[in-house]
Amino acid sequence: MRCGWSLKVTKARRRLLSNTTTPLQQLNQLLQPVKSLLNQALLLAILAAGLFILQAYLLSLIFADWLSAVATTSSPTMTLLTQWLPLLALCLLGRPLLQYGREQLCVSASQHVRSSLRQQLLQRIADAGPGKSRYGSDGSISTTLLEQTDALDGFISRYYVQRYLVLITPILLAIATACYSLLAATILLLTAPLVPMFMILLGNAAASASQQQFTELARMGGRFLDLVRGLPTLRQLNAVDRAANSVANAAERYRDSSMKVLKMAFLSGAVLEFFSALAIALLALYLGLGLLGILPWAKGETPVPYQGALFILLLAPEFYAPLRQLGSDYHAKAQAEAAITQMQPILQRKAWHHSGALPFALLAPAAINISQLSIVGDAGRQRLAPISISIAAGGRIALQGPSGCGKSSLLHALLGFTPYQGEILLNQQSLSDINLAQWQAHLGYMAQRSCFMAASIADNLRLAAPTATDEQLKQVLHQVELWPLISQLPQGIYTLLGERGLGLSGGQLQRLALAQLLLRNANIWLLDEPAAHLDSATAYRLNQLIGQLSAGKTVLLVSHQLHGLDWLDQVIQLPDGTTALTSEAKYEPA
Amino acid sequence: MSQPDPIRLRSLMASRRKAWSLALLLGVLTLLAVISLLALSGWFISAAALAGLVSAGMGFDYFRPAAIIRLCAIGRTAGRYAERLSSHFAALGLLKDLRVARFTAMARNRSTSRHSADDLQRLISDIDQLDQFPLKVIAPWLWAMLLTLLVLLFWTLLASQLLFAAIPLLLAALLIPPLTLKQALQLARLDASTAASRRQALLEPLSMQANLMLWQRWQQALQPFQLADQQLLRLQQRQQQLISRAVLKQHSLLGLSILLLLWQGGILVAGQQLSVALLLAALLSLWALYEVLTPLCHSFFALGLSMAARDRLNQPGENIVLASHKPQPAGPFQLVVTQLSARQEGALCGPDNINFSLGSGQVLLINGSSGAGKSTLLQALAGDLPFNGKVSLNGQPLSTWNLNNTFGYLAQQPDVFDLTLAQNLRLGAADATDDQLWQALSDVALSAWATAQPQQLNTLLGEYGAAVSGGQARRIALARLLLTQRPVLLLDEPFAGLDSATAQHVLTALARRQSQGILIIVSHQQLTVAGADTLTLATDRHDLLQS
Repeated sequence: MRCGWSLKVTKARRRLLSNTTTPLQQLNQLLQPVKSLLNQALLLAILAAGLFILQAYLLSLIFADWLSAVATTSSPTMTLLTQWLPLLALCLLGRPLLQYGREQLCVSASQHVRSSLRQQLLQRIADAGPGKSRYGSDGSISTTLLEQTDALDGFISRYYVQRYLVLITPILLAIATACYSLLAATILLLTAPLVPMFMILLGNAAASASQQQFTELARMGGRFLDLVRGLPTLRQLNAVDRAANSVANAAERYRDSSMKVLKMAFLSGAVLEFFSALAIALLALYLGLGLLGILPWAKGETPVPYQGALFILLLAPEFYAPLRQLGSDYHAKAQAEAAITQMQPILQRKAWHHSGALPFALLAPAAINISQLSIVGDAGRQRLAPISISIAAGGRIALQGPSGCGKSSLLHALLGFTPYQGEILLNQQSLSDINLAQWQAHLGYMAQRSCFMAASIADNLRLAAPTATDEQLKQVLHQVELWPLISQLPQGIYTLLGERGLGLSGGQLQRLALAQLLLRNANIWLLDEPAAHLDSATAYRLNQLIGQLSAGKTVLLVSHQLHGLDWLDQVIQLPDGTTALTSEAKYEPA
Repeated sequence: MSQPDPIRLRSLMASRRKAWSLALLLGVLTLLAVISLLALSGWFISAAALAGLVSAGMGFDYFRPAAIIRLCAIGRTAGRYAERLSSHFAALGLLKDLRVARFTAMARNRSTSRHSADDLQRLISDIDQLDQFPLKVIAPWLWAMLLTLLVLLFWTLLASQLLFAAIPLLLAALLIPPLTLKQALQLARLDASTAASRRQALLEPLSMQANLMLWQRWQQALQPFQLADQQLLRLQQRQQQLISRAVLKQHSLLGLSILLLLWQGGILVAGQQLSVALLLAALLSLWALYEVLTPLCHSFFALGLSMAARDRLNQPGENIVLASHKPQPAGPFQLVVTQLSARQEGALCGPDNINFSLGSGQVLLINGSSGAGKSTLLQALAGDLPFNGKVSLNGQPLSTWNLNNTFGYLAQQPDVFDLTLAQNLRLGAADATDDQLWQALSDVALSAWATAQPQQLNTLLGEYGAAVSGGQARRIALARLLLTQRPVLLLDEPFAGLDSATAQHVLTALARRQSQGILIIVSHQQLTVAGADTLTLATDRHDLLQS
């Protein structure tokens, strides 16, 4: 069952996104595993609506009994109240219990969905390997995994049940009303077709309101952020007061524009409110005048007797209540849709695992033969044009080429993180056939920036080799020429590094990463622009050091500059990947 | 200078008292209309039914109640609309006040490290969180108290026995939410800190992901994150349960008080001390109170969030000592640096034992490879970092002078704001003429670029100065600094991205502008200025030995 308005939203979205599935459909897909939990919650909510009808019925019976007693001048008695008291108590106490049960079910459904979605995202990120940088910085990936996943909560725990309830409850109430008065039921039902209409109105207004407000809020936040970030500069320039004015102006503009939006957005809510108030007022007047027998079209008649009239009056406020609730939960849906849209790039990544299983062992550096290797990215874009390279065992070569030509992708394929076409042979064994973990055990990988844990230098080194002794650590630190510095620190190798390696310079961190490679005793080194972020003198020293330490290993190094890389056996130039889509390139040693 | 005024929740509504009063008043009227509509409708049909049965409706004045019912219906609609508008108006005003106040407070507050983007984002959401206090704590409580009081008053007018029957459980229902206070506050606080540690626990393995996977330690490194995530989920579940249980208890108590009211009312009706119609009105007014009391169950959680946000915003920082009472140094200047050592926060190495002396008209070029501490040295001189050693100006330690208008410092990543070029430049000198702006641009070799822009001086520079390259941003900041006409300039890599001829042009212009002052330039480029001193810093001891 789906409301008409959501279909409309669906169509609108489909035009925006070229994907076949809309955010709402995807959200619904996510809910599949917890469908039964949510349906139970819905059932409880429907039961509660049933109890409400029963409660209104009982009250109307009791009051009608009293009133007829007064009218016939006999004394009202407590008989009926005593008789129905247990059932009435059941209604009054049962409804909160059912509501509690519904919330519990929804919360556990929401937690289940969110934590499995988070695991799914984390797995995609893990599979992507170093290629995860496609999905943004680590900070924004974390935001997707954490805050945006949590932003689905409102949709799952409130909106889902409510959007069904909004149809079911009014129908139940209308049926109950129809038992007493077709006209009253008609008054309610006449407004019922308006419900989907108002949902569209409400939905669109709320969506555009929240969107516009979000943009404005982001703009105001941006201005604030921009100026706060530059506070030292502003202080320096003695321009703080002028900047504070600018903050005030931005906030003022935000208020003006969002008040305009809110006026419209609240109006749709007000219309709903109006209907609900009007329904009560109209029904009260119709029923009251009918009881007096002075309805213009039915003079002297009582179309609905008192008991039925009271029953209907008690039901009326509940008719629109679910709709009002849905209106206030609407932003939960908008939030969830925005969040799931942000997750798309990660979720749509084609799941791929290296599937080889043959055992792989290596006692000496391997020869790597790459033939006709090409790599196609997520959106069918070619990331590496076909290429053939052969590196002898212990050979050390560099790859050069314009950015975007697929240098890094080639390393990622060798690391086993990216599917590829063509063949990679490692000492005559195909990479796609062998056990990935056993292959990776022989690899040393280094990126442009090496990161470290907020832990001691020794702990960070032991991540690479858990069993290394202090003596071994000192030895590798000596090899990477960090020992003279570290030995002078009061706590030596037990000195704590800050977050992300704070405390050491970029060049020192790269040397620390080299120390990790040495501890692994890896035979094959894959280095992705290890000196890219360093100034030329430091880069030269690092490159020379890599040359010293990598003697005898098979090395594939990606680099823009060759300063300090005179020890390489060979430098290979890659053409721009996008222009060489069809041409087949074979690279011979220079 | 005292600490900037801390944010207090209770004074949040002080600055816009009128707007808040209006919103609160409208809220009361709306809720009153809600209750009256229901109660009056119930009374109306009961009274009408009785009149119809007894006297065929003769003599029953239905005009007045019908009019009031319609009035209530309209009042409820219009009231809610107006209430929502006015409360949002007040809340947005509060947001503005808070942002401006926070900005000024931060400007007075010196923190040694620059704020990370994450910190700032959190700061903004903390500020946004604070409007929860008036909207979700103060308003619901005020409304609930007032309307409960009115309903109680109504019952007293009908029959005091009704009051006695229903009041104990009704008050108990009011008391349920405050009982959650302590736990709600504790959970809200835990929530924020657990979320922060969960993020940290994810960021660390993410930053080292490739190697952790090669080393087969990825799953293990994720363990702390998985734990923190489960902990946070449990915490959220507890929060939700706390609210759900409060609602359950409150509604059960209200349900019981309806039964008691009905029972007592039944006795009164049987004794003919109360009419059936009025009993129904009394019952329905209690029925309508559900809507008024339910938001209270959520209020303490909102309070907890606001308090946690307030505490984070009020975290004390080191204050800048305003130097207004100190004397300003006058030229000619003599800057003497003796045995200066400085470290970035948490850094293991930096410049050590630096000595030099400079007079007016002199230029000092500092070079050395990256990591040697060139920038650190400059930051220490600019007063942005604490240092060991002695730095004196005109024979007096730096701290005795008011240097606000003396030292000008260009950071390595200078801030260019999302304003126009002219607005950015005029941050340096508010009343500079366009000619002066063009002259400054020409001195930093940017006038050709600025002339080529369609908007010229009115070109928008974009967030983070995104519309200009890094080198251009640096020179725009340099031009802005030149406009301040500070006698002592400390410039960190002002020529990055310039070819040597242009760099030489800028350097000559700088030397000309500073002919009466002091110019200190950090650069890894080889520059020549007649009569300039040169200071070379070494990376670390080891490299010094090698080179």
